[in-house]
Amino acid sequence: MKLLVCIKQVPDMESRFKPDAAGVWFAETDLAFRMNEYDEYAVEQAVQLREKLGDGCELTVLSIGPDRVVEAIKKALAMGCDNAAHIQDPAASGKDPWQIASIIAAYAKDKGFDLIFTGMQSQDRGSAQVGVTVAELLGIASTSTIVGFDYDNGTITAKRELEGGIKGVVKMKTPALVTCQLGLNIPRYPTLPNIMKAKKKEIAAIPVADLLNADSLATTTSFHPPAKKGGGIVLEGDVADQVDKLIAILKDKTAVLR
Amino acid sequence: MNFELSQDHKVLQSAVRDFVEKEIKPIAMKIDEEHMIPDTLVAKMGEMGLLGSYLPEEYGGAGLDMLSYAIVVEEVSKACGSSGVLISAHTSLCSGPIYTFGTEEQKKKWLPPLNSGDIIGCFLLTEPDAGSDAGAISTTYTRDGDDYIINGAKMFITNGGYKGTGVIFATSDKNLKHKGVSAFIIDLQSHGVVILKNEKKMGIRGSYTTAFAFDNVRIPVANLLGQEGQGFKIAMDTLNGGRIGIASQALGIAEGAFALALAYSKERKQFGAPICDLQAIQFKLADMYAKIETSKLMTYKAACLKDAKKSYTMESAMCKMLASEAATFVTKEAIQIHGGYGFICDYEVERMYRDAKITEIYEGTNEVQRVVISKLLLS
Repeated sequence: MKLLVCIKQVPDMESRFKPDAAGVWFAETDLAFRMNEYDEYAVEQAVQLREKLGDGCELTVLSIGPDRVVEAIKKALAMGCDNAAHIQDPAASGKDPWQIASIIAAYAKDKGFDLIFTGMQSQDRGSAQVGVTVAELLGIASTSTIVGFDYDNGTITAKRELEGGIKGVVKMKTPALVTCQLGLNIPRYPTLPNIMKAKKKEIAAIPVADLLNADSLATTTSFHPPAKKGGGIVLEGDVADQVDKLIAILKDKTAVLR
Repeated sequence: MNFELSQDHKVLQSAVRDFVEKEIKPIAMKIDEEHMIPDTLVAKMGEMGLLGSYLPEEYGGAGLDMLSYAIVVEEVSKACGSSGVLISAHTSLCSGPIYTFGTEEQKKKWLPPLNSGDIIGCFLLTEPDAGSDAGAISTTYTRDGDDYIINGAKMFITNGGYKGTGVIFATSDKNLKHKGVSAFIIDLQSHGVVILKNEKKMGIRGSYTTAFAFDNVRIPVANLLGQEGQGFKIAMDTLNGGRIGIASQALGIAEGAFALALAYSKERKQFGAPICDLQAIQFKLADMYAKIETSKLMTYKAACLKDAKKSYTMESAMCKMLASEAATFVTKEAIQIHGGYGFICDYEVERMYRDAKITEIYEGTNEVQRVVISKLLLS
């Protein structure tokens, strides 16, 4: 059985973001990067399945981006992936979800993956489109936002998160793709011995030009970091006054009171 | 010259950081209050591979390098100096000399349970009357058939309370001074090994600091480490490497306190603005950060020199001295920035200040480090 997990390296979301020179995305200078949190759940689920299926199973991790994304790839290898594909693309952050999905589909199409795991969305762009678009391009089944996963003899049983705390259960035959929601499992720490072993695992470097065959359908035209927070509002006067003001603000600015 | 960590080292750093953030940081206060690192945490550190980072895979270690080890101790010590020294003393003072000076049989027998953390290691050199003057130890050994018999007392033994595996130093004849000293591997569960007390301390309270008596303790001759009479050399060589661990611990404590002080200086408002707007606080932050970065460069350099199998005695002495003095300085200033709150036990900088002091003392006092550095300069 062949498994693929697709991961993205994203900035630490606690960073202070500034626009890049062109003003269309954030500047990468001084940012610390890590594996997209949703993808950590995808990797963990893929590794758990890989361990359950044993030696007949091969798990590949894929990431698109500049050299720095190898760090995220190495983490996934240390968590238990068998080998990796690094799609080298210094300009990945400028590509839209359609192009990213096309690149992944072009890589995966003749490889015969039985099951593909992705994060539900990335923490930085947050489109939640890449996973399901890959499935569409490959013509395979998919389900999104999974919070429970089981695999038995070619059938996937996935618990999905619906709105308002409702869950649904989906069954699919392989080949298929699932996008993983936070809380699906408890991602493991890469242990030191596994970090060492990961150094010997193969990382195939593939130039993006070999796989890119789609134009972008959407273009990000400008980037706006959040405005600097003001000083807040200090309510003054006697308690009854303050309560009235607070209620007025809550009614006006929030959905807490209607 | 490249001052950036390799991708492999960054992967390791972020893995250890995540582990520390979730498993150690939330209980660091409790470890200090209860004078105890929970066994569950020791087990988790073992599973994570933190207790055998630079020992080869064939002996159950992770097979990483000295720089990785320094990063491990640093990251752990950012949250908890007690856990940091547990790793440091265990790895570089017990597993380290067994790996460097042990026979193949000794390595195969003793290292795997140490590297997995099933057994915690310690280093038994210091005695009531022999600290910096390590050649003056009076614990004795005599040969009796296939055994050596050890008699005497040891004190200030980090990790001693676990009664695991130790590297112990004893003399055949005190008059021979350092030439009479030999090193042995000892199972501290052996008959005649008595814990006199686990000391109550100013800082690193979660870490055991143990006083032992040895009453006719029999050690098989197979446990002699290196040659008879080579013990002093083994001790000095081991402490050379150990200093990189202590420098990393001190560095971590300093970084932990600095992060808290920096964040607090942005939150705390006085005179209508955050106190970080005051130059008095800005200058403190600048001094603290500069000392941290200086220590980090020297610590990483010493680790890289050891990895490259180059001489690192001078650098390990300097990094231990610089980082420990940075730690006491930075933690003291971190309390000052916190003001009255910093003096209260609910704020972590108070613990960090207490934890920092010992790094100027153990594994060679900073006065001894200055002796080492100046001797090399003048030799």
